[in-house]
Amino acid sequence: MKTIIGLEIHVQLKTESKLFCNCKTDYLTAKTNENTCVVCVAHPGSKPYFINEKAVKNAVIIAKALNCEISDEIIMQRKHYFYPDLPNGFQRTSKPLGFKGELEGVTIREVHIEEDPGRYDLKTGKTDYNRCGVPLIEIVTEPEIKSFEHAKKFLEELQLILSYLEVSREEPGSSRVDANISIEGHSRIEVKNINSFKGVYTALEYEEKRQKKLIEQGVNYVQETRHFDEEKGVTISMRKKETLEDYRYSPDPDVPPIKVDKKISIPELPKQKRERFEKQFNLTKEEVEVIISERKLAEAFEEISKKCDYKRLANFFKGVLKKQLNYRNLKYDEKMTPELLWIEKAIEEKKITEKSAETILIGVIDKKKKAEEIAVEENLIGIETNVDDIIDKILKENKKAVEDYKKGEVKALNYLIGKIMKETNGKAEKMKVMESLKNKI
Amino acid sequence: MKEIYEKLQNGVITPLQNLEEKIKRIKEKESEINAFITIDIENARKRAKEIEGKKTKGKLYGLIIAVKDNIAVEGIRMTCASKMLENYTPPYNATVIEKIIEEDGIIIGKTNMDEFACGSDTTHSAFKITKNPVDLTRVPGGSSGGSAAAVKAGFCDLALGSDTGGSIRCPASFCKTIGFKPSYGRVSRYGLVDMAMSLDQIGVFAEDVFGVELLFNVIKGPDEKDAVTKDFEKKENKGRVAIVKEFFEGCDERISESVRNKIRNLNAEEISIPSLKYALPTYYLLVYSEFASTMQKYDGLKYGSKGKGSDLIEFVSDARSENFGMEVKRRILLGTYITSKDYREAWYYTTLKARSVIKKEIEKKLEKYDFLIGPTMPMEAWKIGEKAEPTQMYAADILTVPVNLAGLSAISIPLENGSLQIIARQGGDENLLKFAGKLI
Repeated sequence: MKTIIGLEIHVQLKTESKLFCNCKTDYLTAKTNENTCVVCVAHPGSKPYFINEKAVKNAVIIAKALNCEISDEIIMQRKHYFYPDLPNGFQRTSKPLGFKGELEGVTIREVHIEEDPGRYDLKTGKTDYNRCGVPLIEIVTEPEIKSFEHAKKFLEELQLILSYLEVSREEPGSSRVDANISIEGHSRIEVKNINSFKGVYTALEYEEKRQKKLIEQGVNYVQETRHFDEEKGVTISMRKKETLEDYRYSPDPDVPPIKVDKKISIPELPKQKRERFEKQFNLTKEEVEVIISERKLAEAFEEISKKCDYKRLANFFKGVLKKQLNYRNLKYDEKMTPELLWIEKAIEEKKITEKSAETILIGVIDKKKKAEEIAVEENLIGIETNVDDIIDKILKENKKAVEDYKKGEVKALNYLIGKIMKETNGKAEKMKVMESLKNKI
Repeated sequence: MKEIYEKLQNGVITPLQNLEEKIKRIKEKESEINAFITIDIENARKRAKEIEGKKTKGKLYGLIIAVKDNIAVEGIRMTCASKMLENYTPPYNATVIEKIIEEDGIIIGKTNMDEFACGSDTTHSAFKITKNPVDLTRVPGGSSGGSAAAVKAGFCDLALGSDTGGSIRCPASFCKTIGFKPSYGRVSRYGLVDMAMSLDQIGVFAEDVFGVELLFNVIKGPDEKDAVTKDFEKKENKGRVAIVKEFFEGCDERISESVRNKIRNLNAEEISIPSLKYALPTYYLLVYSEFASTMQKYDGLKYGSKGKGSDLIEFVSDARSENFGMEVKRRILLGTYITSKDYREAWYYTTLKARSVIKKEIEKKLEKYDFLIGPTMPMEAWKIGEKAEPTQMYAADILTVPVNLAGLSAISIPLENGSLQIIARQGGDENLLKFAGKLI
């Protein structure tokens, strides 16, 4: 049973103002209808201003990053339907601006620009128009995705690319996906309005299993649209698709065709970085994956690696830095680069131990101070070379642990090492401590 | 008009005196003419007092201006002569209004029209029928009939209208005044309620070409709030004139004769533009399509009396049935039909192609000639109640619609019988007005 998946991904573009007026694009923290004007709520007589050039530029950058061919001009169309969140009664949506792209073995059918509608609250019956006119792009794939795992891989890479480009928004709800999924030879199911990339994997996994089960049971199901319940992780039937809606697409007379600057350059993408790093620095795949997981992190790595041992640096990025950032749900901040360089130098010059390096890094992240300041304040500079006396002292004080170790409990050794490290304020070199500890016992 | 302008600029009369003069006439005659939907005497007086005695007088200082009720004036109700917008007051000014205020013009009120500009005689207003000041038993033309009537009746010095297929030139012709439709893209449409977006243009009424030029020079120019506006390259005027054979086909004999008499001394060559026979159907199909699209926003949620119904579509249908007049409904339905999936190719796209053919053919002629001439309307104003059939009314637009299809500028000048229409290329507005000024 072959699975066939196609995705329509909406991503809001990062711009100060809306697509056809000068209103701010904040709709998450703004008061209801604060960022609206006669244009975006479609008062009679209002007209779209000249298109937001930043939005066009951002869209072209994304289309290029997805290996699309770029159109000479953007033709804006009107897509007509009635809904309370749509003050014009039509949505402005362009003809493909990019087409025939490719990502993770999936053909990108088209990329186009759209304006977001407002937000209609079904419970209160009220509409907040702040989101009306926020620029977004829609990325449409061919139905070539082979499984929900494949979809996951595709979306993760897309997300990584978008984070590299820095031209789209990243707040919750700024990306929305409609997914079409079918099992070969059976009806197509559309899951609408999935509000996060993670939600897509869950929804698709659920749908794939549900449909396969129905087929196994011999149930004949029809084409329909389903809604994804994020909390429960299930899809629910919305409406059976009997007739195709007719949106009466027509070119928008208020928006003359817009010339596209095809020459816009794009930054090095994750894929290229990945390949280059693997070649340039003899690193493991895992290390490379961590380093390129953020554009700024990769840039910091390249910069610092010029001045120190890149192999140890890669290890530090993977084992310490990324771990600490993830733990705090933080992204790498380029202000940290000089601090990391100080830490690496200090390790190299045997001014601090690797254990201290981690403590200093935590200080840099949490206290937003310079690495050197933290090192001084917390007395972390210097390496304790004469550890014998301390080891003897700890051995005397922890006779039970020594006995346990002798009986074969490895944990006991770690316990003792911990005690010694604490006694030296982390200034002892762990490897040395371990060696002499083993000798003494 | 020129006299009043000079008196105001030289301080012979004050803006308030000028205004009171107009108010007096309105009080005398408006009850039988019905030119206005909303008259705002209070604010006009306030404004007249405010600008009085200004050291640097704006170009429109103290002039009284009437505005068609589909152009937004902040704080004054804008109905588009429709029940749908009966209680709608725009919170903003159209760009042309901003410019008028900037130049010390005084807005007296909003004039009657065919509902959402759908019509050619101002009898399709949801509120009242405007009468022709020249003959009260006749229509004033339309859809900017209220503005033309207001100028003719002396209720104002100047008036704004909008022209999608003749909506300025037709009433100018019927009311025996001057009406000017600028080139598409020459005057910002921001604040003008759409009829057909690729054809709509704000323009001017005045009793003399001086007045037309004065107001046009204030309102023209590109606007960042209307993406179709732009600067046009200036072209030399060599005074080459042609009369278009097709414009006289089916035209009232007396009008044809008046037109030919008027231009006797111009050495005009007679030319033919064969594709003009497609202009009327092309125009109407285009209008329906664009109109149906722009009218989507009236879903009964924000404007008009609320609809009834158990789901959204029923609710919207009910509100639209309740609040729109017959001609508006007809156009929405036809427009929806021809742009729907199954008919779009045959109707809508064919229409776009036809338009481009007509446009190219006229543009080619305008490379050889600076001005094309003919009558504005093939007939005089009809009696109120005549032309009840929509097709009869549509046929009257045959001479005016080609100008909009090609985005050109055109002016209508009254003659003894009917009116003369002079057409110039897109962007040739200034040359056209200069030429028209001399011809009169």
